[in-house]
Amino acid sequence: MATGTDQVVGLGLVAVSLVIFTYYTAWVILLPFIDSQHVIHKYFLPRAYAVAIPLAAGLLLLLFVGVFITYVMLKNQKVTKKAQ
Amino acid sequence: MASEEASRSPRRSRREPEGRAPRQDKYSVLLPTYNERENLPLIVWLLVKSFSESIFQQHAEFGGEVLNDLYFICGINYEIIIIDDGSPDGTRDVAEQLEKIYGSDKILLRPREKKLGLGTAYIHGMKHATGNYVIIMDADLSHHPKFIPEFIRKQKEGNFDIVSGTRYKGNGGVYGWDLKRKIISRGANFITQILLRPGASDLTGSFRLYRKEVLQKLIEKCVSKGYVFQMEMIVRARQLNYTIGEVPISFVDRVYGESKLGGNEIVSFLKGLLTLFATT
Repeated sequence: MATGTDQVVGLGLVAVSLVIFTYYTAWVILLPFIDSQHVIHKYFLPRAYAVAIPLAAGLLLLLFVGVFITYVMLKNQKVTKKAQ
Repeated sequence: MASEEASRSPRRSRREPEGRAPRQDKYSVLLPTYNERENLPLIVWLLVKSFSESIFQQHAEFGGEVLNDLYFICGINYEIIIIDDGSPDGTRDVAEQLEKIYGSDKILLRPREKKLGLGTAYIHGMKHATGNYVIIMDADLSHHPKFIPEFIRKQKEGNFDIVSGTRYKGNGGVYGWDLKRKIISRGANFITQILLRPGASDLTGSFRLYRKEVLQKLIEKCVSKGYVFQMEMIVRARQLNYTIGEVPISFVDRVYGESKLGGNEIVSFLKGLLTLFATT
């Protein structure tokens, strides 16, 4: 079994993903069927953001991965240059 | 698989009473070592213990066929091949002393002059292996030999070509990793499962049991080095339609010394993964 903090972090991750999943599902699938005068629409952003936010997150992730790889490779080159 | 059926040696009929008994399976353990002077006696002792103490367990489980009873009463036939790559700390002397203690039929020394890498160590070791099954494992006590009888049992259960020890299924796991390392490992495994769909839960593990001819065939086909090599073995095995069984194991990471996973290792892992994805 994983140790104390690890379990807490794991449960936290599961909880966060559940919340995001439920919110997004309600946003995209349930809300279109609910009357536009209903009060629940107050809690959700305009639907355009339902596409924009995941797209932006995906791009950020790609950017981060790219920067990380570039950084590591540059550091590598510097190390081999120093070794020579 | 019909041709494999015919060529597998333990299924030979009883026309050869001398030499190896019919259906006598022999397990060769390949132990590549480098600076394992302190761990080597421990691991050899544990191996001998695991092999000799599992007789009665297996007899109880497989007590059906008469032939199987005979085989298991004789004990598990094994040999340990130590492939030392010119360790400067005197590992070779320790190995020679172990050979005197346990006998040169059980401990085979096949050293090499310098550090030449894992894949070539396996090739070198297999040349001298007289068993029909080969077990590969780490000699630094991160793999515990007590799982080997489990491997053997699993292999007989499903007649698998390969049995792999997995850290990601059942009650398999790792002792000695911090949270960051665990997350990286799980993340890597996740990406690997998506890209390669290997049909095995642990690709980078190196605690495995192979049929000897399967291992030979796979080593011929593999081109990468390091742990990507272990990944490639499984992927190629799937390509060639070999069956893979899994046994949960506990991996004990080095308690001493540096075993850090730097950005370098992550990037080379990704490179290896993408290469495998593109070429298989």
